[in-house]
Amino acid sequence: MKHLRSMAALAFVAAALNPAYAQTGKPAEIGMGVFTFTSGPAAAYGMPGRNAAELVIEKINASGGIGGVKIKPIFVDEGQGTDGVVAEFRRLAADSNNQAMIAALSSGNCLALAPVAEQLKMPTFMWNCDTHQLFLKDRYQYVYRTNSSTVPEFIASVLYLLSVNPNIKTVAIINPDYAFGRDAGLIFKETLKALRPNVEVVAELYPKLGSPSFNTEISRLAATQPDVIFSNLWGADLENFVRQAAPRQLFERSKVILALGESVLQRVGTLLPDGVIIGVIGDGWWKSPHAQANAQAKDFIETYRKRFNEYPVFPSFKMANTLYAVKAIYEKALATNKNRWPTREDLIAAAKNLKTETLTGSLALREDNDGLVDQIVGATVKDSAHPFPVMGQMVRYPASLLTPPVGTDPIAWIGKLKPDMLNTLPKPGAYK
Amino acid sequence: MSSAYIPLIVDGLADAALIFFVAVGLTLVFSVMRILNVAHGSFYALGAYISVVIGLWLTGRGGPVLGLAALVISPVLIAVLLGPLIELTLLRWTYGRPEALQILVTFGLFLILEDAQKLIFGVQPYSQDTPMQILGITRIGGIVYLNYQLILVLMAVLVAVGLRLMLKRTRIGKLIVTVVTDQELAQTLGIDSSRVFILAFSLGVFLAALGGALASPTVGVAPGLGSETIVLAFAVAAIGGLGQIEGAALAAILVGLTRSAAIYFAPEFQPVAPYLVMLAVLLVRPFGLFGSIGLRRI
Amino acid sequence: MTLRHIIGLALIAAVLPLAVPWLGFVFTLAVGKGLAALGVAVLLRGGLISIGHALYFAVGAYATAFLMRNDGINEFLLLLLLSTVVATLVGLVVGVFMVRYRAIFFAMLNLAVSMVFFTLLSKMYHVTGGTDGLRVATPTLFGFAPSRVQFNSVLQYGSLILMIGAALIVDRYLRSPLGEALSAVHSNEVRLEYLGVSARRVILIAYAASAALAGLGGTVTAFAVGHIVPELSYWTISGQLVLIAVLGGIGGTPGAFIGAFFLELVRTFAVGFAADAWNVIIGIALLIVIFFLPEGLYGLLHRTGKQGSTP
Repeated sequence: MKHLRSMAALAFVAAALNPAYAQTGKPAEIGMGVFTFTSGPAAAYGMPGRNAAELVIEKINASGGIGGVKIKPIFVDEGQGTDGVVAEFRRLAADSNNQAMIAALSSGNCLALAPVAEQLKMPTFMWNCDTHQLFLKDRYQYVYRTNSSTVPEFIASVLYLLSVNPNIKTVAIINPDYAFGRDAGLIFKETLKALRPNVEVVAELYPKLGSPSFNTEISRLAATQPDVIFSNLWGADLENFVRQAAPRQLFERSKVILALGESVLQRVGTLLPDGVIIGVIGDGWWKSPHAQANAQAKDFIETYRKRFNEYPVFPSFKMANTLYAVKAIYEKALATNKNRWPTREDLIAAAKNLKTETLTGSLALREDNDGLVDQIVGATVKDSAHPFPVMGQMVRYPASLLTPPVGTDPIAWIGKLKPDMLNTLPKPGAYK
Repeated sequence: MSSAYIPLIVDGLADAALIFFVAVGLTLVFSVMRILNVAHGSFYALGAYISVVIGLWLTGRGGPVLGLAALVISPVLIAVLLGPLIELTLLRWTYGRPEALQILVTFGLFLILEDAQKLIFGVQPYSQDTPMQILGITRIGGIVYLNYQLILVLMAVLVAVGLRLMLKRTRIGKLIVTVVTDQELAQTLGIDSSRVFILAFSLGVFLAALGGALASPTVGVAPGLGSETIVLAFAVAAIGGLGQIEGAALAAILVGLTRSAAIYFAPEFQPVAPYLVMLAVLLVRPFGLFGSIGLRRI
Repeated sequence: MTLRHIIGLALIAAVLPLAVPWLGFVFTLAVGKGLAALGVAVLLRGGLISIGHALYFAVGAYATAFLMRNDGINEFLLLLLLSTVVATLVGLVVGVFMVRYRAIFFAMLNLAVSMVFFTLLSKMYHVTGGTDGLRVATPTLFGFAPSRVQFNSVLQYGSLILMIGAALIVDRYLRSPLGEALSAVHSNEVRLEYLGVSARRVILIAYAASAALAGLGGTVTAFAVGHIVPELSYWTISGQLVLIAVLGGIGGTPGAFIGAFFLELVRTFAVGFAADAWNVIIGIALLIVIFFLPEGLYGLLHRTGKQGSTP
């Protein structure tokens, strides 16, 4: 009873503060499913995302929510397996208070959730799905990617590699065994083939996502002695790989690219020598010139560090940027609707062709619902200000130059890349 | 490519060593109590978790060398605390009952232990790599190996030989062998078989936990470790013949080498390798390489 | 007796979702698991424990996905039928080898086959989608393309009809001479052979039937979730199926479904308040049932004593 009364009082206050309440049909609060890994080896990557979501939603709510409406996040653990994630998505979507979903972390889960979101007409913003397969064959109305795809992300790895080591002859690949790892392997190989047709791929390993040990794989990589080792391992897998490979001097013998390496720098970075190529698959690097020039970003970084005892890693920025983008989409819809609370259809209409500033740069949503985000790549370098190495020799590749146009087959597009492309792009060290 | 064979064998043996500890514990428990313990993998996971926690604590107090001690302390701790407890409360009740029931009781225990781990240690991965780092490296066939990996192989050999000697030479070992061979005879001889059961089960728990503890510096410790380990241990124990110590050792080497060969020549087949070996062996020799249906020996 | 109980269960499962709509989905999952657990229960009647029956569960699910993707078959009932047939055939082929083994060796060999299948599903990325799994689209119904919401209702009530049908047919089978012979495999196989009945034949039929039931359950699950993953064939699912069978009680065919409804409900509620502890709850429930209710949960309802032997 007491509960009820205080809720009524709250609603009254909300209505009083917000004169348009009665006409606009604004709810006091909307639910938002937030999907990320909070258990298992992938949690090492998923938790920074969740932390960022908590923090950003707190900040949004503290400054009046979205047009006066508060966000209530409902966190879903992707560690329960794809079938469980799909079941949970269906359950959340059945509740009309939940008006949008921020899902998901794993490419596998995204591929499974996208058609479900479409069936249920649930606006879904994919905060961390990178696989280019997402929009390859299917057109979705309700699914947007507020993030870049595997195509620009791993073209960027090759471009950076060839800028610093133009004369490589052999490469080996070790990626996790699912859509993300397989896509990255394909894109990396195809880009190399287009830009340096003579480079030979001497080993391709796809250990299971969440493998506890890579010791035999490391021996095989050492035995093959490739000039370059490319990996898009991530989360605890990447930490384990670095822990197991570093003492066995793998990083000294080959040039290593850890495309998602920034996310483990603070934990195991000290094991890495200088010059390991590190990426953030996007532009979410907390020490990037863009982030450091943005007051909101600096505030986010500081609060994050104070609360969670580490600097936000790039998954944190993917989450934060997605949430601010969703807020921008709601605000755009409210503006178009003359402050009437948007329906799901209004929301997805507002998302179309959105251009918004993010904490670390900008995000544009295209005609085909895919996101355009710049790519920052760098290499490890020691920094006297921190007990761990940071990204130095950075380059920021503009999204437009690395992303195939709407409607083109990405792999065929990569095949048409010309070796002289490198001359027209910014050089390592140019972004500072 | 021939130079690649040496690392292949070294990797295979290092892999085999870790599988062996778990499989031999499983097989020992089976030979004495005739119970296939589904929860056995959970002791491996517990061994890994607890040795990381104790290891990090000891390293913080007394340096990395003291941290090494955790690798032995934690399995002993787990065996002493959980071995008798589980044997007396759960397993004792299942002796002589149908296999379906025995397997299910240990499956229930498995479910409980899996979640207990999550509740105690959380769901984030754990790791400790100091033991691996302080022991240095060795080059074999041009490839850098951690001495720790090589020591694991040595440890496995020691455990195999030690177990055999214990069963053959010590009083306790002889008691176990008598109970395995003929429980009724053992009882008429005045052997307290219930004490032997507690001992044998605790020894099995110790071996599994030791495997986990020794693996912990080289692997990431996260939920799901127990369920992955137990199927692999099943496979190895079944290949060797349930209840056979030497069988488990040979099967572990077979599986370890097959897995590492797969990574070199056909990486796609690495995960399926142990089960294909298991299937092949069981179809030809249903009781495993060293097993037989009538004879009860260890 | 069975008829009354199974229809009672179906009625509860049909009515409750009217008040709490999302329960419909949970119940559909429960029927899927229940069908598979019923298959496991059939084998348990013969004293055979399989810790690999998730294999057939997954075969049913993947057969559906492949038939839809590669062969363009989209008719719901046809898919149910064909997937069950595929699972039965796989069961017959594997069963030919399995019937030679008993006890722990039967359990282990089933485990081995299912783990081979699991790892192949996980690794053959270009065929099976690897660990990402495969999508299962909404099928057509007699040529009509229903919306997802319509299809969900069809599946929800259709699966209850399947449940009643399966329970009654299996009940008939267990009471037939073939079924009695299966029980005899458990109690006295030698005598069975003296009577001129081939134990292997009896077991092979039971094994194929159990594979069919598990396959049907897998298909229902695939349609309900709309996405399938290799984990469907992992050994812990096999363990769960045995658990459901024994938890519910193998004394009568409704037991498997009672166990499955119990499991799915506990799981659903546990996600809310004890997400990391639902296995503990299930594990303890299992031990309690084994120790104190040898006839399972169904035994609480059904105490005729005739089939009240422990598994």
